[in-house]
Amino acid sequence: MQAQNSPVQVMGIDAGGTMTDTFFVRKDGRFVVGKAQSNPEDESLAIFNSSEDALAHWGRNVDQVYPELLTCVYSGTAMLNRVVQRRGMDVGLICNKGFEQVHSMGRAIQSYLGYALEDRIHLNTHRYDEPLVPLSRTRGVTERTDVQGTVVIPLREQEVRQATRELVDAGAKAIVICLLQSHKNGTNEKRTRDICRYELSKMGVDVPVFASVDYYPSRKESHRMNTTILEAYAAEPSRKTLQKVSDRFKKHGSKFDLRVMATHGGTISWKARELSRTIVSGPIGGVIGSKLLGEVLGYENIACSDIGGTSFDMALITKGNFSIISDPDMARLVLSLPLVAMDSVGAGAGSFVRIDPYSGGIKLGPDSAGYRVGTCWPESGLDTVSVSDCHVVLGYLNPENFLGGAIKLNVERARQHIKAQIADPLGLSIEDAAAGVIELLDLQLRDYLRANISAKGYSAADFVCFSYGGAGPVHTYGYTEGAGFKDVIVPAWAAGFSAFGCACADFEYRYDKSVDVAIPQNGSDVDKVTACRTIQTAWEELAAKVIEEFEINGFKRNEVILQPGFRMQYMGQLNDLEINSPITMAATAADWDRMVEAYEETYARVYASSARSPELGFSVTGAIMRGLVPVQKPTLPEDPEEGPTPPKDAFLGTRKFYRHKKWVDAKLWKMEALRPGNEITGPAIIESDATTFVVPEGFATYVDKHRLFHLKEVKQRPTHLREVK
Amino acid sequence: MSTYTKQQVKNLTEGKLDWDTTMRMLSMPKDNERFSIYLDVLQAKVPWKDKIVLPLGPHLYIAQSAKTKQWVTKCDCGHEFGDYRENWKLNAAIYVRDNPETMRDVYPTLMAPDTEWQVYREYYCPECGVMLDVEAPTPWYPVIHDFEPDIEAFYSEWVNLPVPERAG
Repeated sequence: MQAQNSPVQVMGIDAGGTMTDTFFVRKDGRFVVGKAQSNPEDESLAIFNSSEDALAHWGRNVDQVYPELLTCVYSGTAMLNRVVQRRGMDVGLICNKGFEQVHSMGRAIQSYLGYALEDRIHLNTHRYDEPLVPLSRTRGVTERTDVQGTVVIPLREQEVRQATRELVDAGAKAIVICLLQSHKNGTNEKRTRDICRYELSKMGVDVPVFASVDYYPSRKESHRMNTTILEAYAAEPSRKTLQKVSDRFKKHGSKFDLRVMATHGGTISWKARELSRTIVSGPIGGVIGSKLLGEVLGYENIACSDIGGTSFDMALITKGNFSIISDPDMARLVLSLPLVAMDSVGAGAGSFVRIDPYSGGIKLGPDSAGYRVGTCWPESGLDTVSVSDCHVVLGYLNPENFLGGAIKLNVERARQHIKAQIADPLGLSIEDAAAGVIELLDLQLRDYLRANISAKGYSAADFVCFSYGGAGPVHTYGYTEGAGFKDVIVPAWAAGFSAFGCACADFEYRYDKSVDVAIPQNGSDVDKVTACRTIQTAWEELAAKVIEEFEINGFKRNEVILQPGFRMQYMGQLNDLEINSPITMAATAADWDRMVEAYEETYARVYASSARSPELGFSVTGAIMRGLVPVQKPTLPEDPEEGPTPPKDAFLGTRKFYRHKKWVDAKLWKMEALRPGNEITGPAIIESDATTFVVPEGFATYVDKHRLFHLKEVKQRPTHLREVK
Repeated sequence: MSTYTKQQVKNLTEGKLDWDTTMRMLSMPKDNERFSIYLDVLQAKVPWKDKIVLPLGPHLYIAQSAKTKQWVTKCDCGHEFGDYRENWKLNAAIYVRDNPETMRDVYPTLMAPDTEWQVYREYYCPECGVMLDVEAPTPWYPVIHDFEPDIEAFYSEWVNLPVPERAG
């Protein structure tokens, strides 16, 4: 392929449940993607295999490349799976006496989190998962701090000693402490922590202690308790895995420090104290990657869309920023972690298709075939039609080259299932039934995408839509048609885009803390100064934690760029907004006014300037501190444009393709062989091993110098009108 | 639409079905053949030969007498309560909790209802002693006749099965 002299600089890892993807980027911007079967027993081995697979494209191997790498980012699903399958550490919990059951109750909401709407409103389906910590390893201690942070009942220290001993006897391998209102005043909780540690040392046992006040000092007790428990339950075991991965890298001569993608959109070291925020990372990678692409290409507003087998995830980047939510839910747990805001709908390329016996309509999902593809794969053991079956029948997918030919699909088998389950009951031909399913999915996704943009007060015309994920490019035309996006972009590396995005993320720690500050519109200068002092104290506390994290990785205080932020709302309103602080230190009344100004500006952008309500006064609900150090990021490939006609060797032939009630011959192109500047007019299908990009009639696409495909609708005058003239 | 095996339906009736399958059953439209499989599963559990027409509870059925083809309400031990249109409770053994002492078997003191306002009436099979039903009415309320099923309509219009033969 290309010249071998350019060093490989960046590596991204996406360790999924079935496949481990690796993504390598050279200094000249060229990249390769590798795949290997995941290995839950030893992830480091799967990563090694996947790396070898990727680097073979360049005729190189791990021992040559690992020492060259400047940076490597890991993202994976192991921690999430550990939580979902309840295979974590045996944790003991100390909480307030009388509140021992609170953890299992999960705010009631945990009984239906993650459900489709139909199931949420159907009470019979509500179910409480097994709690992370059983009641048998939970102990209450007497103490009370009220909502203002005043200690109204002092801590009964003897109870802490007894609880500690009982928990160790009950088999606790770690002890988590979470007391009421400790985010407001951590005195009792810290005292509990110290007594607990002392008692453990007296017993001579090595059991780590996690106090919520040291990790997540945020309001909402269930969220704080869950998150602190996760730190012990799931993150500590993951740390061991990551250490193993890091050790294998070192064995092959690597010099970089392994980083992990975190929910706040930055990457953190595997040695970080708050590791539980790496629980979800894959989908976030795509958003980060879109942001970086947007910066390079000059797009401020981007609609990111990712279709996998089971869900459609979307996120909006506005004015170059994604938004962060502070109390998300994941794995059916309410958590207090900053998470890149994303919206998901449970419809993907693998969704099952059924006829609703009551309405007679087609129903998609909510469950899906997942890695089993559909009935078109005889070995899947499935007999319910999936969306992929419809794709195969209509010629969208190449049955001989699914996942690069890794599995062979049987078109006839899919046809028979569609006929029996969908076409016959509806009185349609197999093709029309399958096409109906695809149109329905496209319509649902398009409505969802459009609703999400307009619900936030934006217009699609201001947005560029990025489409990625293994199945994204098959549907891109469908869910963007008529939506009116400024441009629609499919990266050639759509399938590895999440891994690419992870490699784009900054080395960034972020700490949050709840604060309570409220000042009326015309508050006195004295009040404003007091408010600033509260915020500044919180910032300093958080900054110390951020710097401490960087120091673990050998960075010095002056190398860290600190960016304070805050969450503000109009007093009495329910939703706060996260604001990047315009000031680096809060001290004076003028500082307060600048914070208010920044908030009102953001408010006017997110909602409307006429909706601003300064007469209500202003509350600050949270203090945020982000710290980052610059890292090497992938550069985009840049090739000279070679004109609109694709090279001959890119043409693979034709395939019958059904859409709008007729079969046409779609031209097949090999994605890797297309050159910058090439233009392709539909009906055409552009194939690569990991993804299929469908360009139907009425659409055209061209490849730009960065290997990004731009999809356009081309206006065709209907045939009868052309004849009139 | 999903289909389920007889074993899965059997596990469902015994409360042993795995949660993922149970959840799918709950959230998907009901499979056509569920009722007939359900009847097969129940039939295999009872010691008698009479054909089950409709289950009324964990231990109570409306069954078609093998000999007379009459439809009777029947306990799973085989005890018969008479014609299916009559209130079977009138022929059951009854235990009434209408004072604080007997209520204490069920709830701790002060957590039970005031028996001036509410009593519990428990209905047992006179032959095998299994509890068949409990009702919680005001003390003066007559024995409740839970419902009179329209079995013909249920079979022909809802589950699309032939209505079993019925004498009398």
